[in-house]
Amino acid sequence: MTAPPVRQPTLDPAADAAKSRRERWAIGIVAVLVAILTFFEAHLAALGGAVTFSSNIVIFALINLNVVFVVLLIFLVTRNVFKILLDRRRNLLGAKLRSRLVLIFIGFSLIPTVLLFIAATNITTTSIKSWIGGRVGHALTGAIDIARERLEEEARILSPAAESAAAGLSGLVAPGSFPRVLDSSRKQAPAGTALLYFEKDAEVARDGDLPSTIRAEVLTRIKGVKGGGDGKGTLIGDQFAAAWRRTPGGVVVAVRPLPPAEAARIREIARAYDEYHQVRLLDDPIRANYVGILILITLLIVFAASWMGIYLARQITVPVQLLAEGTEEVARGNLDVSLDYRSSDEFGTLVASFNRMTADLKEMKGSLEETNASLTRTYDELRRRTQFIETILDSISTGVIVIDRHGRIAMINKVAERLLRIDTVGAVGRMYRDVLQEDHYEAIRDLYRETAGGQVERQVELVVGEKRIAFRVSLTSLRDDAGEHMGLVTTFDDLSQAMRLQRVLAWREVARRIAHDIRNPLTPIRLSTERMQRKYAAVHAEDPVFAECTHAILTEVDTLKHLVDEFTRFARMPVPRLEEGDLPGEIRPVVETYRTSHPGIRWEFLQEGPPRVWFDPFQIRRAVTNLLDNAAAALGEGGSVTVTCTHDKAAGKVRIGVADDGPGIPPGDRDRLFEPYFSRREGGTGLGLAIVSTIASDHGGTVRMRDNTPRGTVFEMEFPARPPSKEKTGVTDSGIDDGRRGS
Amino acid sequence: MSSLAGPPDPGIAEVSGTIRGGEARVRFTLRNAFPPEMVEALKSGIEITFKTTVEVERVYRRWFNRPMGQVQYTRSVRYDALSRVYRLHRDDGDELLEDVLAALDRMTRFEVVVPVTGDVEKGKPYRARVRARLDKVGLSEPLRSIFFFSSLWDVETDWARGYLQAP
Repeated sequence: MTAPPVRQPTLDPAADAAKSRRERWAIGIVAVLVAILTFFEAHLAALGGAVTFSSNIVIFALINLNVVFVVLLIFLVTRNVFKILLDRRRNLLGAKLRSRLVLIFIGFSLIPTVLLFIAATNITTTSIKSWIGGRVGHALTGAIDIARERLEEEARILSPAAESAAAGLSGLVAPGSFPRVLDSSRKQAPAGTALLYFEKDAEVARDGDLPSTIRAEVLTRIKGVKGGGDGKGTLIGDQFAAAWRRTPGGVVVAVRPLPPAEAARIREIARAYDEYHQVRLLDDPIRANYVGILILITLLIVFAASWMGIYLARQITVPVQLLAEGTEEVARGNLDVSLDYRSSDEFGTLVASFNRMTADLKEMKGSLEETNASLTRTYDELRRRTQFIETILDSISTGVIVIDRHGRIAMINKVAERLLRIDTVGAVGRMYRDVLQEDHYEAIRDLYRETAGGQVERQVELVVGEKRIAFRVSLTSLRDDAGEHMGLVTTFDDLSQAMRLQRVLAWREVARRIAHDIRNPLTPIRLSTERMQRKYAAVHAEDPVFAECTHAILTEVDTLKHLVDEFTRFARMPVPRLEEGDLPGEIRPVVETYRTSHPGIRWEFLQEGPPRVWFDPFQIRRAVTNLLDNAAAALGEGGSVTVTCTHDKAAGKVRIGVADDGPGIPPGDRDRLFEPYFSRREGGTGLGLAIVSTIASDHGGTVRMRDNTPRGTVFEMEFPARPPSKEKTGVTDSGIDDGRRGS
Repeated sequence: MSSLAGPPDPGIAEVSGTIRGGEARVRFTLRNAFPPEMVEALKSGIEITFKTTVEVERVYRRWFNRPMGQVQYTRSVRYDALSRVYRLHRDDGDELLEDVLAALDRMTRFEVVVPVTGDVEKGKPYRARVRARLDKVGLSEPLRSIFFFSSLWDVETDWARGYLQAP
């Protein structure tokens, strides 16, 4: 099972804008919810009746603020949790790591927080219960009772003084005697006691110092008790103890203030007692309040931990995600990517390193592209030059082989392949010793030894196939600017054609001289011999020697004359006058003539649609006649001769072939076939094939001989269908012409 | 533990009184203001304070009523566990009562003097409007917030009206 492909989160600005819009909508909804909650909270009293609105706006504001914060926290956390879950479902990069970190944070915070919450709740509840329902209540009740009894005892101590004063004051009418009575009674009371006498809710006499607050308190208390009881009693407060006695006209009170320390302790006991009872009264609300606070704290801790988890996860995953996206962009070839993330931690360093790396890569890529462009231009130039050189080398008639300093062939042209019969495919890069024939290699090596770092040129005869061909071989040592040996340029020029032409020219000269030197004495010899026959034939009628000799002289003179005529014609071979014509039409009558004169031979003429070509009809008929004459001579009285006239459209050449099935030509004679005065035929002048060769050359072509299959000989004469002067060479369109005009 | 729910339907009743020469005496009774929970709280030492608002106005049948005077009157009661008395505090003086019923009676029966402005015309209708609300609940300091969160004795009556006898 394969994992689903990790999707790359998009950082599309449009997507970000949509996301911001969605967040604003969410915040707006939360704000409305908060308003609704506040409204609901404010009207709880109206809804429930038992719960009413407080005037304490500050506390309500704090409550609402807490609610808002909690709701906002819940919203943010929930939103991010859902976002993480959604990203994880979409298999976004970093979502798994983020969700894992958040889960860990929530788990690590939730478990101890919940445990702490449970423990704190139990402890709080137990503490409150034990406090309000246990010994504390009894102790406080006991304390307040003890304080009360203490005060009551103090008040009872004051009772004799109050009793004495009341007795003293009974029956007195003059207020002026009141202080004396009080002073007398006060001496019976403990120190610090004061005696007060009230008539009609007003103090009319006093003996002893007493704080005004105590006096006011005593007066208020007296007002509440004056109407009931048996005319005496005690009063206690948190500052004093008192005993009162009614008189016929008023009330006498003996008051003794408590020492300040004792009064403070009693007040403290009373306050603790009140608080205890208030707590008992508010038992449930207090527990609910503490539990609520604990719940709020727990929620805050959990959500804060979740938020922290999300924050930390984002701190980790955001740079990781950025780096992944940046790496992906770089992998796609975009080196303009720069990650916008700044932090002082290791991720910030990593992102900064990434940005530097992309910048360096971009710079290096630019440099490489410039170098590549330069190299490409250089390569194109070199290739163009190489092609130009190869074109030149392929266009010239000289075979060229370039050998590097290691003896490997660096370059070889097609002419060299043809001249030396080398398979140039795969020749470049190989050792020239392995490519060339052994004797060719030896010849080049011998010549190389003569170069001595310069140039040498020799005429060398090499065996190519079965022929010995004369070459003009030139070796030039290549050296760089520093004089270091770079290799060798070897050129081969086939001298066979040139030598043949030289021989033809030489033979023409010989023929012309022979014709000139021999033709002149032949006529006197013939005339003298005929005269001798006429004059002495009768004398030597019985002697056949005379007649035979003179006849022989005349016959040989005719032969010589015929020979001289042939030589003359050979020597006077005119320049061909090319005209466009029907080549098969010129050849066919010649073949028909030989079919008539040599009925024993089967003559066949085949033509393969040659177009109208440029040729000299007289010379072509003569060449064909010579070839047919040779064929007929070779066959004797039987055999077959096939004359073909074909057109090689690709090469732009026409080809005239004469094939016989005669005995063929010995290999030793083949090199000299086209030389003048070479003939193995009795009575032959040896000029026929030489003339054919001359005519072919004059037409810009060649003539060659090969063996016929299965026997016999084939002569093929080949020349251009259109002479060079008639070709559209296009030279004027070339750079050479441009260069000439430019110069 | 008893519930701390508020008293059911507190209100002002028996609004009556007299008006003459510069003042009006308005009597009224606060009813259902002390449910058992509040009495229990009172016995626990919680000070309970009621603030009443009394307004006097001349009533016109076809015109807006004319305010003639207003007074706010505060009365509170607190049990002193040491002295075992109920300390009743009024704007016009304090009072100590040993019986809770007496204390509650004092807290629910009012007679308030309202200074009025303007002439009091004989035979014309004058009316008093009275409203009372639980002004504050005296708790010890640490328990105030708890009490706030638990149950709010924000007792407040509707306006009650009664005609005053003019000379």
